[in-house]
Amino acid sequence: MSASLVSVPTRVRRRNKYLGLVDSALQQAVAYRVLALTGIVGNMLWIVILFAIWRAAFADSGTIEGFTWPQMQTYILLAYGINAMVGFSSASKMMQAIRQGTIVIDMIRPLNYLGTQLATTLGLAIVEGVISFALTIGIGVIFLDMQAPASFWHSLLFLLSVGLGFLTKFLFVFCISLLVFWTTSSVGLNWTQTALVNVLAGVLIPIQFLPGWLATVAEWSPLRGIVSTPVSVYLGREDGIDLLLVLGLQAVWVIALWCFADWAWKRAFRAVEIQGG
Amino acid sequence: MEVTTGFRPRTVPSDASRGARMRFLIRIYLRLIGLQLRTFVEYRGDFWIGMVGAALLQGSSLVFIGALFSRIPTVGGWTLWEVALLYGSTLIAYGTREVLCDGPWMLRATINKGEFDRLLVRPLSPALQTATLVSSIHGIANAALGWTVLLIAAHRVDLAWTPWTVSWLAVTVICGTVIVSCVAYLANIIGFWEPGTSSAFPFMISNLVELVKFPLEIYGWLIRVGVTAVLPFAFISYYPVLVLLDKDSSVRWAGYLTPLVTALMVGVTAWLWRKSVDRYQGVGH
Repeated sequence: MSASLVSVPTRVRRRNKYLGLVDSALQQAVAYRVLALTGIVGNMLWIVILFAIWRAAFADSGTIEGFTWPQMQTYILLAYGINAMVGFSSASKMMQAIRQGTIVIDMIRPLNYLGTQLATTLGLAIVEGVISFALTIGIGVIFLDMQAPASFWHSLLFLLSVGLGFLTKFLFVFCISLLVFWTTSSVGLNWTQTALVNVLAGVLIPIQFLPGWLATVAEWSPLRGIVSTPVSVYLGREDGIDLLLVLGLQAVWVIALWCFADWAWKRAFRAVEIQGG
Repeated sequence: MEVTTGFRPRTVPSDASRGARMRFLIRIYLRLIGLQLRTFVEYRGDFWIGMVGAALLQGSSLVFIGALFSRIPTVGGWTLWEVALLYGSTLIAYGTREVLCDGPWMLRATINKGEFDRLLVRPLSPALQTATLVSSIHGIANAALGWTVLLIAAHRVDLAWTPWTVSWLAVTVICGTVIVSCVAYLANIIGFWEPGTSSAFPFMISNLVELVKFPLEIYGWLIRVGVTAVLPFAFISYYPVLVLLDKDSSVRWAGYLTPLVTALMVGVTAWLWRKSVDRYQGVGH
């Protein structure tokens, strides 16, 4: 055995392992950019539908539930763009890994599973998020009556809130995907996850429109942090103490979900059952 | 030695009467679908999660419709329960197709892996075999939700149950299912030209069905023409429901064309299917 083979460089370039995962997920998404793009465009159909419905609704009245027509257009576009950051594909990726057993790779990595999944999702979100945001804002500004943020401060807080919203959705999807350890099937769970986010986060309709009890649930649920809170901040619907309260609620839920997720994956790994292999 | 499976696989002699051939095809089709459905019962937990998930996903857009109409009386001249009729009929067609004709969605993967060869050497129409490549049991949940919504809506709009409305409803549901099934074939035969396993194109095409859950009045001319003349999704819900409700509309007459449009759609799909299968070259093994 030659000495050169066993000689280990004394200083390995210490690159953050999680950043490496972000990078590889990012490159994967770039490599399949046509697929990502068609997926995003396909999902934009709901923007068309929502736009058409609300246009018809606003034809008869100036404001509905405190929303003007330009505000509603802005809501539709932003809600879609923000929600697309952690898309259906990111969720299926996490679920498929568990279902198909490739999770063993993650299990033998000396890394925190929650951290590795966050890194991968972030990599995908950077690409998909950039594409869908560029598209929605482009369409919004050129074709529609999209409003600017309420103020400079609102736009800064909006970015903060989008970041927290990203974490909220990631953590929620992560927790749901852990259920695949027990169910061994994923698509039904992914639909359930999508349905809950659609309603409680305010993706399809602002949560103020929901019927009484459901509106109360949505108002306090963590999911409002995904879409409703950031968009409300952008539109300047919350101000002063209310603004701090909704952002505080968003942050508290992120911390709570993180603690739960960190406990849950360790618990789930004990239930692991790899099919075949 | 004879293996008893309760089903004697036999080909029908080519000189058999048309009726006998038809009965044979229907029987074998139902057998194949039943076979696919049985695989779901194997995983009972998954079965229920799939059903609940499918119903919840559709339910989320129902919540949207309900919440919207709680603030506004009509959209594009349509009330809540009239829109619910559109929604219900679309969902019934969609769900029934998921059970009876979900196979085309496996087509690209089948072509890509070269497994389409297997279908071609069997003494049974490849189109029929394609239809039964898979059957998604959660379609039952979607169809059941669709029927529930449709029947409640029919009650709320005071639809009179006469022999005419009942038979027109049957025509609507059957034609709708056939149209979405044709779209499933049309969207996926792209696999014969572009046999990659992952393409969002078929999904984009079939997803357009979402448009006709709402009245066409709300859309611009481009979408109206698109879902009427290019891919006739509007004949699943909008046009037949105009007739069912006897709604005062300048395009109500088009509703009576529903069976004709469906027949046309089947013809076009069959023609394109034959052309596509002729192109199939295998993947070289």
